[in-house]
Amino acid sequence: MPTITFTQPTGEATEIAVAEGTSLMRAAVTNGVEGIVGECGGQAMCATCHIYVRPEFADQLPPISDDEDEMLDCTTAERTDASRLGCQVKMTDQLSSIVVDVPSDQE
Amino acid sequence: MSATNAPAATCPFSGDTGTPAPSSENLRDSVVPGLPQTSAGVEAPVADWVTIPDLYADPFPIYQRMRSESPVHWVPAVNRYMVTSYAACHEIEQDEDRFSADEKNSLMKRSMGHSMLRKDNPEHQVDRDSYGSTLRPGTIKKHWNEIFAANNEKYLGELLAKGPGADFVWDYAAPYTAENLRLICGFHNATQEDLQRWSQTMIDGTGNYADDPDVWDKSAASSAEVDAAIDEMLPLLAKNPDNSLLSGLASLPIPLEAIRANLKMTIGGGLNEPRDVLATTVWALLNHSDQLEAVKKNPKLHATAFEESVRWVAPIGMYPRETTQDVVLEGVSLPQGSRLGVVLGAANRDPEVFEDPEAFNIFRPKKPHLGFGGGVHFCAGTWIARAQVAQIAMPALFERIPDLRLDPSAVSVDAGWVFRGMTKMPVTWG
Ligand code: HEM
Ligand code: FES
Repeated sequence: MPTITFTQPTGEATEIAVAEGTSLMRAAVTNGVEGIVGECGGQAMCATCHIYVRPEFADQLPPISDDEDEMLDCTTAERTDASRLGCQVKMTDQLSSIVVDVPSDQE
Repeated sequence: MSATNAPAATCPFSGDTGTPAPSSENLRDSVVPGLPQTSAGVEAPVADWVTIPDLYADPFPIYQRMRSESPVHWVPAVNRYMVTSYAACHEIEQDEDRFSADEKNSLMKRSMGHSMLRKDNPEHQVDRDSYGSTLRPGTIKKHWNEIFAANNEKYLGELLAKGPGADFVWDYAAPYTAENLRLICGFHNATQEDLQRWSQTMIDGTGNYADDPDVWDKSAASSAEVDAAIDEMLPLLAKNPDNSLLSGLASLPIPLEAIRANLKMTIGGGLNEPRDVLATTVWALLNHSDQLEAVKKNPKLHATAFEESVRWVAPIGMYPRETTQDVVLEGVSLPQGSRLGVVLGAANRDPEVFEDPEAFNIFRPKKPHLGFGGGVHFCAGTWIARAQVAQIAMPALFERIPDLRLDPSAVSVDAGWVFRGMTKMPVTWG
């Protein structure tokens, strides 16, 4: 099973093993990872699943759709080149052992 | 943070470029959806003291008492369990496996057909996706904002023409939001008055627990009118497409029955809510002059006031779910097939989450409220509502009528619980 490591602003890291096809948001919410709310259940409508993907995994990510792009402009924490919506990134073999940072001020 | 700055983009709604908001403790900690419940749970207390007229007049003291007793009650007058704590409502929203939206004997299905709102996934998602990008931020920015601004100009003009003493809801908020919804849906063969009538009569059908035949007749008549209007518009929009919902649907392999039900649900849910939140927000600001002054000085606070208003008086105060299995919800056991009311109006004032929750306070620490629902049925019109109310209507309103105030010679009335808003709001100026 691929794993996801969520790193909190405090430096604390949580590694979670998930089935392929699971989104980063769903993995975080099901496992109670702090800072990822996922209020809209993955409809790309709320931006409360915002995460920063470490640059070494950038190449392996799916492209950002228009829906995701416009919603990334509405995040609470600053949008950067590393910003993605956790609900729009699904786990695949290529992504196995991905590391992401949780924004510090996402309620 | 291991990241570099992307080119600055601005959220079209809040004007925010992502400035950090004050952080707050995480709310989701106590809620881990989908986890098996170990303990058996207690039976829900019975709230036989709750009556519908009391709820209609002012549900908030009732919710305070209920929340302090138990997160879930059986309420005979409503013939459902009412779920009033934030944690329990949030748990339901995030777990459609245990809490189905496809309620049996649903009055909504009878009055409007089986829309996406009463379907579970995977069926729900097909309908939801069929709405395409019409209601999304990109289309709002490129297309709808200009139309909303023109409509606002028109109906603000009508309010001014009517003169001091005019009713803020019925002479402005209702026609403005109805006209917006008419164009969003693509009913170029109807009037905003038609939209208002369709919406109210079908909503009345959805709430017709008393089985009043007159209510059913009116609801069925509107339903037939909507069917005819859709049948007429689909081929026209297939030939001359625009940005409306019906235009997008005209080219999709979606059954007509689903199109009809979804449009009726959207007519029911996309008109009264922005109307009510516009009136409630302005009413609250006119009653809190310090907050009003702050909003006038800093236009970014329109969005904040809107969000606080949706928290304070959730326009959709309660919506239904049904348990698919025996569950224990926040320590209360509920048998399979239990009919639940998810009481957003109560969850949004839960003192466990919001400090001084009964107060309207735009300066409170930002925390997520449940006013737009959550999970896969999260309101599809969230950004449309924010745009037409907070971005277009409110700034223009306070600029055109800077001395707008509640008419001291007449009373305003706020009412309702399943849907709550201002039913009367005479205003004056000059
Ligand atoms: C402030 C205004 C509004 C509020 C508070 C609001 C609230 C809600 C809530 C609570 C739900 C979920 C109900 C449930 O799960 O049973 C919902 C769903 C929905 N709303 Fe809104 N709404 C608003 C405005 C609008 C507008 C303007 C539109 C359309 C133009 C709209 C379209 C929808 C649709 C299509 C759904 C169904 C989504 C689904 O089932 O996937 N809403 N709304
Ligand atoms: S969960 Fe709402 S945008 Fe990702």
